Amino acid sequence: MNRTFVEMNGRRLPLTNLEKDLYPSPGFTKAGILDYYRGIAPFMLPHLRDRAATFKRYPEGVEQDSFFEKRCPSHRPSWVKTAEVVHGDAEPMTVCLINDLETLIWAENLASLELHVPLARAASPRTPDSVVFDLDPGEGAGIPECSRVALILRDLLSGMGLMSWVKTSGKKGLHVFVPLNRSEATFEDTKLFSKAAAEIMQKHYPDLVTVKMAKRERVAKVFINWSQNDASKTMICVYSLRARERPYVSFPLEWPELENAVGQDPAQLQVIQSEAVRRAERMGDLFQDVLMKEQKLPHL
Amino acid sequence: MAVQGIWNGTVSFSLVAIPVRMVTAVEQGRVSFRMLHSTDHSPLERRMFCPREERMVPPDEIIRGFELGPDQYVTITDEELESVTPERSRTIEILEFVDRKELDPVYFEHPYYLVPSKGGEKAYQLLVEVMHRTNKAGIAKFVLAEREHLVAVVSRDNALELITLHYRSEVLPGDDFAPRKTALESDVESRIRKSVKKMKRDFDPGKYANERRTRIMELLMLKAKDQTPVEAPVPRDDEGEGPADLVAALEESMKKVKAGR
Repeated sequence: MNRTFVEMNGRRLPLTNLEKDLYPSPGFTKAGILDYYRGIAPFMLPHLRDRAATFKRYPEGVEQDSFFEKRCPSHRPSWVKTAEVVHGDAEPMTVCLINDLETLIWAENLASLELHVPLARAASPRTPDSVVFDLDPGEGAGIPECSRVALILRDLLSGMGLMSWVKTSGKKGLHVFVPLNRSEATFEDTKLFSKAAAEIMQKHYPDLVTVKMAKRERVAKVFINWSQNDASKTMICVYSLRARERPYVSFPLEWPELENAVGQDPAQLQVIQSEAVRRAERMGDLFQDVLMKEQKLPHL
Repeated sequence: MAVQGIWNGTVSFSLVAIPVRMVTAVEQGRVSFRMLHSTDHSPLERRMFCPREERMVPPDEIIRGFELGPDQYVTITDEELESVTPERSRTIEILEFVDRKELDPVYFEHPYYLVPSKGGEKAYQLLVEVMHRTNKAGIAKFVLAEREHLVAVVSRDNALELITLHYRSEVLPGDDFAPRKTALESDVESRIRKSVKKMKRDFDPGKYANERRTRIMELLMLKAKDQTPVEAPVPRDDEGEGPADLVAALEESMKKVKAGR
């Protein structure tokens, strides 16, 4: 096993198999992945901070098997911050908090290409920071349909006095976030709200939107998955890589980008790793407001 | 053909290097089923169970052990296993060419096709052609999915086929199972010889179908047409509208959205 050591903030970290092609098709190696996360870290770390991180690990690369790691591995370095979380009536579980660059690099050295986080912080697991609408196009639908649905949803929400932000899932879908950042927020409320909004969308755009999870209900439509608004669920973290044939990123977009994209080549909305760092450095963190903006859900 | 490759690299020998990707040459003929809970059709999962403590064991409490004898194990960590795992190879380096008829099928493990990548088409064609004309197979060693394989590269239907081979130590010698030699009566032998000759045909695997699979698939398609498929329950997807005020406000907002479009 090839091993190199890096020193970060006075901590010595072994990095292994840097030359391994984790994305074999474009030949993107683990060194490239570590480099990406190092470059994106200033923008991504605030979104990982104090959240129970789920590692989706691809030890043999994106074309081979992967597994979810929710528990913080017992072989972690002593300086990795952890929290205890309880789900339902299960035993408490130790989870990793990716609060600094060295923890992020350590996690990536484990080939955790995808980092997923819950909508709540570990210290307040019952308090969602945002409402999320997970827009997932079914067979025969894609980013153009998804963009239309996201734009209608944005207008619907803004008519209710709520601002929303959007990012690509890094796969075929889009994620619309409505930040709340209030200690009174509950998943009961966010679920009630997102379900009602999704059902109104389906009622008025039955040919475009479905709230049914069954695959055959989704053909040529966009499935609005409101049930992600749950303490037990996680979403792909903004700026995380996705395990696809190429290293696409879940990346924040500006609404005008979506407006321009409707009816155009869907590929242009996909953001690849090299472009992600460039764009973030130029535009800053477009998802910053998702962590800051305080909003209250009306009529609940 | 857009089959996803399971490996990308080059086939090389002496000074030739041909970029290729590898795809599997056979599909599993088995029909696979999901296990469902009969009461509500939820898909079921496998979990690790500790019979002594009578509880499910979470992944971080599971390690590997090699069984030495009854209730005796040596344990091994992922890191230790990784330390003895060969590096993934980027090349299939052909070490020697052998006559194809020398390749004993008992050694054949799994067939793959090598597909030329961009820029490699010409050299690929040449190699296919030469191997076909000379009826030779290239023997190479390479690492796939952590295992080092001995492989044979042969030409087949104008493409390169790669067959992973068993190691010598894995193949049991047939003479262990052969009966002791005795004198054979010549009339019996000639009778058998005749009936073999009578039954001689050209090998045509297309004649034989996996009949059980065909029948299962026919049955499944028939059932799928006649009955509505059962569905796994959608978690908490209860019907019913939201609070009246909220729904009214959403309807109001939606009216404006539609007017504005």
